[in-house]
Amino acid sequence: MVTGNFGVRQLINLDLFTDAYRVTGRALVGAGGIHAELGNPNTSFLEIQEAYISRIHQPGEIVVNYKQAAFRKENINFIVLQDRREGIPVGTGHGRSVFTRGRAIPAFLTVPSFEIHGDIIHEGTLAPREILVQSIGRFQLVFSAKASASVFPDISYSGDLILVHKERIGIFCLGHNQS
Amino acid sequence: MARILVIDDDDQLLRMVGLMLERGGHTVTLVGDPIKGLEQLEIEKPDMLVVDVMMPHMSGHDVARQLRENKETENLPILILTARAQEIDRVTALKSGASDYLSKPVTSQELIDKVKTLLAEKAEKSEAPQEGLVIGFYGLRGGVGQTTIAVNLAASLLRVSQGSVALVDLSSSVGQAVMHMRLQAHSSWANLRNESQLDWETLKGQLIAHQSGLQLLAAPADPMPPDLPSAALTKKMLELMRNNLQFTVIDLPHTFSPAFIAGLESSDIVLQVLTPEMISVQSAVQVNRTLAKMGMTFKQKSYILNHTTAEAQLPRATVERGLNARIAFKVGYDTNQGRALSQGVPLTLTSAQSPLPTIVNRMGDVIWQRVTSKKS
Repeated sequence: MVTGNFGVRQLINLDLFTDAYRVTGRALVGAGGIHAELGNPNTSFLEIQEAYISRIHQPGEIVVNYKQAAFRKENINFIVLQDRREGIPVGTGHGRSVFTRGRAIPAFLTVPSFEIHGDIIHEGTLAPREILVQSIGRFQLVFSAKASASVFPDISYSGDLILVHKERIGIFCLGHNQS
Repeated sequence: MARILVIDDDDQLLRMVGLMLERGGHTVTLVGDPIKGLEQLEIEKPDMLVVDVMMPHMSGHDVARQLRENKETENLPILILTARAQEIDRVTALKSGASDYLSKPVTSQELIDKVKTLLAEKAEKSEAPQEGLVIGFYGLRGGVGQTTIAVNLAASLLRVSQGSVALVDLSSSVGQAVMHMRLQAHSSWANLRNESQLDWETLKGQLIAHQSGLQLLAAPADPMPPDLPSAALTKKMLELMRNNLQFTVIDLPHTFSPAFIAGLESSDIVLQVLTPEMISVQSAVQVNRTLAKMGMTFKQKSYILNHTTAEAQLPRATVERGLNARIAFKVGYDTNQGRALSQGVPLTLTSAQSPLPTIVNRMGDVIWQRVTSKKS
């Protein structure tokens, strides 16, 4: 934990996915979690410490590792976190935060090479377009989520929270699977 | 209590895991670099390895693969502990040769439980051979460190096999083994009289348990006539122990007694201990000559050259010339032995990397490999 001009910051573990790579590493985040870092307009990059990089089709094997790495936010497809509190402010015992207020709706999303199942928490009209427009930031929050590789369905990643780049979303469905 | 090596490049996590394992009663060695960790593993020969995956220069998967390719470490329990928490990471870890996988952050209880399970699995795998192995130490000259090496080898065999191991002190004039293990000789072989009626349950009742799990059949606290125990009783005791224990290590008396002969005859492996002094070499040669005249032959015999002082003594080559035989193991002078005696814990059960445990552990590994290769 680091205390500085911007308050208390902590290192969190994350799995980050681009089109061709899986990156496991640590990011220094403040009270707003990784969502706030991704939304920071002062930089187009996300800095990762102790970055271990694997190819997407061999995600268990580490190809290279570096102490410091920067990733262009535009190229990040999604980020998997094991604890939602590392991604966003979840609120306190007295009330939920703006991110966790509302009801949970099952959702299905696709990004290049991956399909993601999970819950969207939303307050208001239940329309995919409105949710994408109204939700805060450039990354859509999917709770209790699982991302499966479209071409290698045996390879999947689960997390308490997955942050999906809105501009990378190809398909976005709400509600229960009808088939 | 197991000896566990932990390799993790994250200093804070390394210390935390170390603390958790120590609180679980284990002896822990912490290394922050995988290459140094592998070197340490070769020296220390731990009971288990806990290793991180994401480390510079070499991943935990590479460490596991390397260890599985080595005959000496192919069965070592390896627990991978990593921040990569996905199913694919578990599969990759197991494919690389790890015994199991835990994702960080891990609770103390999770870690202790997993370690316990892996150690129990290892013990199950290394089930006792049909018939145990009897290893006899002799010297016929006091002060050569015979008891020290016998006690440490018994402890080393316990560590490597996780099985049943006993040490037998056949001395009739106040045995030393109890002192090495800081035990009270409340029972001993002197309580076993009638060999024809002796059974395993009776003999087991005389064994004294050390905190490590090592069993001791002690010599009586008071001196006994030198012809005790009798040859028949000695043979019966050793036969029962062979049938019920994985390893029996005998600390033979320093006299040419019936128990000495019977103990040698009952041993599968005979180890003769001597120091690099002229008088010790002469004594060893003379004893061997007498045993040869008696027609005694050994299935397997090795010499151990033990340095009991720091002073310069006869070089190994000179001793080998005198014996007309090769020294199998040379044990250097070990300053830690005094501390081990006062604590009652053989050095091979500690994480000490000094000369005595290093060589005696190597001895234990050689014997263990012999047993396991016979089984397979």
